[in-house]
This record gives sequence, C-alpha cells and structure tokens, in this order.
Amino acid sequence: MKHLVLCLKYAGLILLCFPAESQNIISLNLGPFYKSEKIALGESLSTPDSLTLHQLRFYLGHFTFYQNNAAILEDKNYHLFDLEEASTLNLTFNLPQNATFDSLAFNLGVDSLTTASGAMGGDLDPTQGMFWTWQSGYINVKMEGFSKKCPARNGEFQFHLGGYLPPYAANQRVELKTGGNSENLLLTLDLAPFFEQVNWVDKHNVMSPGAEAVRLSGILAKSFAIHAQ
Amino acid sequence: MGALLMLLSAAQRPGPEPAVLQYPKNWPAPRYDFSRNPLTREGIELGRRLFYDPVLSRDSTLSCAGCHLSFTAFAHVDHALSHGIQDRIGTRNAPALANLAWAQAFMWDGAIQHLDFQALAPISSPTEMDHSIQKIVEKLNASPRYPALFEAAFGTRKATGERVLKAMAQFELTLISAGSKYDRMMAGTDTFSRQEQNGYAIFQKNCASCHAEPFFTNFSFEKNGLPLDTMLRDYGRMRITQNPADSLRFKVPTLRNIEFSYPYMHDGRFRKLRDVVNHYAQTTALDRPLELSANEKTDLVAFLLTLTDRAFLFNPDFSFPKE
Repeated sequence: MKHLVLCLKYAGLILLCFPAESQNIISLNLGPFYKSEKIALGESLSTPDSLTLHQLRFYLGHFTFYQNNAAILEDKNYHLFDLEEASTLNLTFNLPQNATFDSLAFNLGVDSLTTASGAMGGDLDPTQGMFWTWQSGYINVKMEGFSKKCPARNGEFQFHLGGYLPPYAANQRVELKTGGNSENLLLTLDLAPFFEQVNWVDKHNVMSPGAEAVRLSGILAKSFAIHAQ
Repeated sequence: MGALLMLLSAAQRPGPEPAVLQYPKNWPAPRYDFSRNPLTREGIELGRRLFYDPVLSRDSTLSCAGCHLSFTAFAHVDHALSHGIQDRIGTRNAPALANLAWAQAFMWDGAIQHLDFQALAPISSPTEMDHSIQKIVEKLNASPRYPALFEAAFGTRKATGERVLKAMAQFELTLISAGSKYDRMMAGTDTFSRQEQNGYAIFQKNCASCHAEPFFTNFSFEKNGLPLDTMLRDYGRMRITQNPADSLRFKVPTLRNIEFSYPYMHDGRFRKLRDVVNHYAQTTALDRPLELSANEKTDLVAFLLTLTDRAFLFNPDFSFPKE
C-alpha cells in the first residue's frame, strides 16, 4: 500500500514537472465577416439590402496540419460551429511536440464515408438539427436570415446546403497556407462572395441536395482565410 | 486500496450481453456494419421497447408498430396508404420488414441509406409521427423507466439521438425471416407440391432477376409498369437522384411473407396477389410482360405462399414487449 502511494506521488510529480514540453496546443478561432464587417446574428449589416443573419451553423472537420506538404496532425472529428453559441467558435489542436506547420486543410461539411457510417454522437448527433430526416445526409451549412433583395415572404432566405451522393456531393475540402507557425489562428469566413452570387430570383430557399447546393458550397469553400494572431 | 478493488470489480462487472445474429449458412454476410453498433441483448430489448412505444409520436398515440405489425409481416395490413397521427394519410404503403441487415437502402425511393437513420423519416414526417428526435430524447430522459434501460444497453442513463437510433436498429436487425417452407425446401427438410414446384420454375424464369433469392429482392430500383397515380404524383427514385431516368423507379420489395403484407405495390393499389400477377401479365409498359396461362398464374401464387414464415410472424421476441 505504501509503495502504491509513493508511486502515485512520483507519477504526479513527473506530470507536474513536464507539462509545457509535452504540449503544443494550437487555438483556432472562427469569425464570419461580410467583407471587413463582423457578422452578429440579428444585426443588420451596412449593405444596401440590410442583410441580416438569423442563424449560421456549419460543420468543419477532418482538420489536417501540414509542414512542407507532410501531414503532422490529422484529426478526423467534425465540429459544429454555431454563431449563437460562442463556445463552439473555438477549437484547439494538440500538435506533436516541437512540430511546426505552414498550411492546414479541412472539410466544409461532412464527408460521404462518415455520413454512410450510421448514427453518430456529439456534434454529429441527429438531435443537433443538422440532419435531414426525409433523405439521409447532414446539412453541412444552415444559413438563414433577411435581405431586401429576397422576394420571399418577409424577405427571409433559407440556405440548407448538403448532400453527399454523387453527382451532388456538397462537401468541400478547403486548403489554406498559414504562412508559418502560430499558436493562435483566426479562421475567417467572408460571406460577401456568397451573397453577391445568390440567385435571388428563384433560389433563395435551398433545402435539398442538388446543383445549387453544390455551387453555393463551392463559393463558401473559397471564402475562408487564415490569419496568424 | 479499497477504492482500487472497487474499481477493479467495476471493470469486471458484466456489461450488456453480446448477441449474435442467426441466419442460414448459405446466406452472404450482412451488409450492416456491426462493429459500429455491436448487438447486445439489452440493446435489442431497448430497441424493441422503442419500436412499440407511442412516445415516438408527437401526441404519443402512434408507435412504429402502428404501421408495422409483427403478425402481418411488419406491414400495414388493409391500408393501401398508411396513416399517421390524427388519421393523416400518407402517400405510400408501409413496407414489410425482414432481413434488414442485408438491405442497401430504405424507403420506396431509397431516400435513406443506412438503417440507423431510417426511423428519423417516419418520426419527422407530418403525415406519420410528426415529431422530432430532439423532443423524443427529451421525453425519454424525463421518463421514469427509460434511463435504466439506456444504462443496461449503453452503460449510461442518458438517452441521445445516436443511442435511440442504434437501439432501434438493433431490434430491427434481429427481424430475420428464414423459416418459410421455401427455406426448408432449400435446406432439404421439406418438399414442394407439384404445383409449388411448377410455380417456383415460373418464378425463377420470370421474376427472379429482380426478386432475387434468398432475399427475394435485388435491392435495386426498377420500373414495374404501373401508371402514375395522378393524385399522388409519386415519381419514386427520381425525387432522390433528380435523374429523369429514375422516373417511376421504386425499390424492389422482398416477397417474403407476401401472403400477409397486402395490399401490394408502393401505393397499395392491389389488394390481391392475383391482381399483382395479372398486372405483370397485362401491362404494356414493360419490355417483357409475363405470358402465363390461368393455371400458371395459380401455380406462381402457390409458390409465393411458400414464402410465408409463421415462426417469424409469431415470434414472441418480435411482438409487443411485456413488462
């Protein structure tokens, strides 16, 4: 018994002595913008159409960090970012000790293999409201709000982008150069290109897989940028 | 030291009891990936209770068994189009359930690609249960009896969407029908009558390319020559693929227990097996209509009746769970 207690004590001491060396934590914060204007839910942007977002939720996952094109960390998990829940806008990654990186990649939306693997828990649990019930598949991006340009009732638009079966698989891989190593990264998503290319006449409600969901997902995938802080 | 011993004994405490799916040796391996959802006696039992519990519907009046009755092949007997809560009528006939571990897609149009997710469709449909998995999980977590069932099955009292769906899938996976006269015939323990044998030969020549043995479906989506119902305007598979070539294609249903799964076809438009056979003999919409005499039609139906599996229909493990 005495030996056991001593062993536990020393184990604790060892852990206390070497915390910094064993960790290489990268913090990634997510921020949605409209050009340089930060987006807050329910607040009109200074655009001519008084664009306002009421909901912005999307899946990012399968993050991979690279140094000289060699993967140094691959994390296959998916995370649900919800602009309404501040705690979801930060992610941390524990990189190998002393590892550095110069680029990273991630999926916008859930890949087909994961989707086809059956019920999942956590952020992928169907209770998150991001899974279509009438047709299998995750809603990769849920974006709802108001625009004066939108001819729908009350000017309200709904974009539920998803679909994982060819030819309408909407999941996108995003690759970004980080320009060097940093412990704090800001991942921005500029929604201006998306809203400039929305077909307001008849595609302001997209709620099923198809060509439009793929097109709009492609625009979003090109609208991410990474900044070392 | 005492705490350590307690930990050890907790680690050795038996968890849920593993269960193994029993099926004929000559069948292929199931398509379902059990490594992601290992079958256990407790998981199956939880799934069975959920299957029979009207808590899954918005007004707590309708369970899965409302449209999938065990003693009628888990189909909705006598209802061409199945109805949901408050007598709301849907657009399709509830299909018979059997041998789901081998299925590749679910619903008449294959909208659902994985058994785990299938239950979400009727749960959410306004003409079926008109509920949501979020609300169901809340109700189960507030229930006096479910937390203990979740603990027995998953080692935690907390219900989640994932656990609800996996437990229901576990029960549904056990619905194996392999005890019909046809199966006994294949195993060499029974013999067909001359009429059944003749019907089997007609079946193999004319029907088996789509209704392939031993599941009596090739799991594909085919055109069956039925004209469009102009009120329902159901184009089947095309709704999912958006490909015009899939217009009026529907999933090939299993023929197992077909004696009990009437009415037939995706919209239940035929009440009698003979009507189905007559459709395939008379249709001009297919390349190769059946050319059968009246006697041959009778023989074919006689063979189809050998697919009735009474041990499956009246299996007490599949029926309403008794407390």
